[in-house]
Amino acid sequence: MIVFSEVFLSELVGLPVVDRDDKRIGIVRDVLAQFGDQYPRVTGVVVKRPKDLPLGVVVIGDIDVIGRRMVLTRNPAEHIAIASLRQNDVLMARDIMDKQIVDVDGARVVRVNDVKLARMEGEVRVIAADVGILGMLRRLKLLPVVRVVADFFRIPIPDRQIGWNYVELLEDETKRAAISIPHSRIGELHPSDVAHIMSQLASEKRQEIFAALPDRTAAESLHELEPKIQAYLLTTISSKKALALLDRMPVDEIADVLGDIPFDRSEELLRLMKPRKVAAVRKLLQHSDESAGGLMTTDCIKFPEMMTADQAIQKLRELAPSTETIYYLYVVDEEERLRGILSLRNLIISAPDTLIRDIMKKHLITVTADVSQRKVADVISKYNLLAIPVVDAENRIQGIITVDDVMDYILPPISRRKREMLG
Amino acid sequence: MFSRLSDLFTVVGPGLVTSFADNDAGGVATYSAAGAALGYQLLWVLLLSTFALIVVQEITVRIAVTTGKGLSDLIRESFGLRMTLLAMGVLFIANLGTTISNFAGIAASMELFSIPKIVSVPTCAFAIWLMVTRGSYRIVEKVLLSIALILVAYVGAGILSEPNWVEAWSGLFIPTISFTREHLFFAIAIVGTTITPWMQFYLHSSIVEKGVHRRFLGTLRWELVIGAFLTNIIAFFIIVACAATLHTQGVVITTAQEAAKALEPLAGEFAESLFGIGLLGASILGVFAVPLSTAYALSEAFGMENGVNKKVREAPFFYGLYFFILFVSVIFVLIPYIPLIPIMIFIEWMQGVLLPFVLFFMLRLANDQRLMGSARNSFWANVVGGGTGVALAVLSLLLVVGVAFGIFSF
Repeated sequence: MIVFSEVFLSELVGLPVVDRDDKRIGIVRDVLAQFGDQYPRVTGVVVKRPKDLPLGVVVIGDIDVIGRRMVLTRNPAEHIAIASLRQNDVLMARDIMDKQIVDVDGARVVRVNDVKLARMEGEVRVIAADVGILGMLRRLKLLPVVRVVADFFRIPIPDRQIGWNYVELLEDETKRAAISIPHSRIGELHPSDVAHIMSQLASEKRQEIFAALPDRTAAESLHELEPKIQAYLLTTISSKKALALLDRMPVDEIADVLGDIPFDRSEELLRLMKPRKVAAVRKLLQHSDESAGGLMTTDCIKFPEMMTADQAIQKLRELAPSTETIYYLYVVDEEERLRGILSLRNLIISAPDTLIRDIMKKHLITVTADVSQRKVADVISKYNLLAIPVVDAENRIQGIITVDDVMDYILPPISRRKREMLG
Repeated sequence: MFSRLSDLFTVVGPGLVTSFADNDAGGVATYSAAGAALGYQLLWVLLLSTFALIVVQEITVRIAVTTGKGLSDLIRESFGLRMTLLAMGVLFIANLGTTISNFAGIAASMELFSIPKIVSVPTCAFAIWLMVTRGSYRIVEKVLLSIALILVAYVGAGILSEPNWVEAWSGLFIPTISFTREHLFFAIAIVGTTITPWMQFYLHSSIVEKGVHRRFLGTLRWELVIGAFLTNIIAFFIIVACAATLHTQGVVITTAQEAAKALEPLAGEFAESLFGIGLLGASILGVFAVPLSTAYALSEAFGMENGVNKKVREAPFFYGLYFFILFVSVIFVLIPYIPLIPIMIFIEWMQGVLLPFVLFFMLRLANDQRLMGSARNSFWANVVGGGTGVALAVLSLLLVVGVAFGIFSF
């Protein structure tokens, strides 16, 4: 059993490797890790040997002690088989340190400053990624100096480590060894977090992660990304995948996204989409992005005035699964003119045979398709609405705008207009 | 042809914007001072740096489209933490200098309109902080860019000043250098202001940010070549105008008033106003772009949260750094009686001295087989890129040695 508690890779690198007779074999250059388990297993120490000998690997079984001053082998040097590096080996310092990883717990992209190794159940494993300033200083061997100063002024040095069970690798180093399912844990995150992570990555990496996401998460996170990135992703994935995603998105979001990509591509996708949605999307595409028309979805529930509450509930059960918003039901006459609004609450608490026109609210708050987004946001926030109907000059309902579509105007901008700036 | 043109519109921007931002406050000051001090003698340095500029920027652009990663990301991932610290240290010093230089430009140009710097500089700094944190700066950038185009006036001024064309052409095509302090200093400063470290980072990130695809590399190259020639034609005429007016009268530029005189053949009594507005536009443009791109580069290199969409509390390093650069620059420029124009020129010289470090990293990256694959640097790109770095290093060394051993008279 190896004698060892825990050590940072930066402390280990540079230590002498010595055999049991105190004969020096070389110095530690890196460690070899095998991925696959939650905590990757360290399988060997890469040793830089004197003179012109190539880098060698001392397997972990040959090592007796990993100490603060040196690494001690179990047997005399003559009895140790030193292996050479193979193409597919993953080296922690070379392939993992300084690279970007995803902190799945914090849902953000960070850079590995150092790596912590520890003994777990008799084996040496990689247990954490150090992503804090403390780790950076340790690596630069500046920690003792900075610590004296920081202690003097009573300033804590920020320390941040991420348990390896929350680490998702972005580089494809481990894929080379064909042992990890890439980005699986990212797919389990909330779509907004996925979008946040993707917005911090290089475009190829984005594409790769996006392609690996489950359709549902991909569809939901797509709309959270800034238009430029949406356009890039939609033009680079296959048409089949694009259609699968569009199929899971509400029509207003589809129109938003298609409005930002090159005309040829959006036409191509529209031709291939299910006809049911296409008409609605085309109608929405005619409106400017900046107006109420550009924000609205045509996807809303309309009922004739003479329905009873019971009939309405029956009908609602049929429509609800495919409809974005069911909290407001719009009551219209034969010519689709808006007569009143019924809240889901009022519908449910009414006697089954009441006519819905007797329980609907007749005081209507509406907007027309040409008012600005800003104005829509103001109205929604003033009246505390979940959604607002968009009507034409004859009061015919065109669609609705839900509160999440104007959230950016009500709260300070968060995700949508992300990183409009430099790099 | 049509598809070619529509290509151009999808990618156009990064190259041209960067090129035009190249004639910033320090650039105008340096070209003016070089023309006034040495006449047409160093025009050949400008010509050579134009070609070097194209080559260096082409390398930047090629790395950007091939890897799709930021320059500081690449440096960190390829060279490790220690070298990253060095590279970022160099970038930080160079960019702090450029920011100081641009604030000095704001101060100098506003003084032409009798607005004291104690008013103009803090006001501008505050307005910039507001606009950047509010995120409305892309539009402002375009406005500033058009204001900075006022510098095109130098073309007219240069022609109207009746320069000695024989001397100008021979200065442009026949390299001559005498080993005096002035010659070496201005040669380094001209290269330093034409090819700056921050421009490479800025250009790189705007391309990565746009997600420009590899197949547009040809279009981007056209844009670079056009951009480099357009800006350096203006630079050419700044030097010519100053050589024809100031140099013949023996004026050495130390103030903005003196620099503005070069525009008199064109603008007469409005020369100062024209110069002032042009310089102001160029300066504010620099103050917008440089501190922000520094904050992005450094926070990316060290894995810190960044972005103007974050709150100050979410990205303390990013905002802290940004604020620090603005603050130090403002304080520096506000030191009473500090000679603004000489400071700007000195900083451009410093850019020239620091450029070899940045070139070193870029060339190493561009030659990395694993990173670049078939887009690796060609022999000639290495010769020109490396040659620029070595030439600058040698010139800097000569200058230091010369000054240290008292060979040069001041």
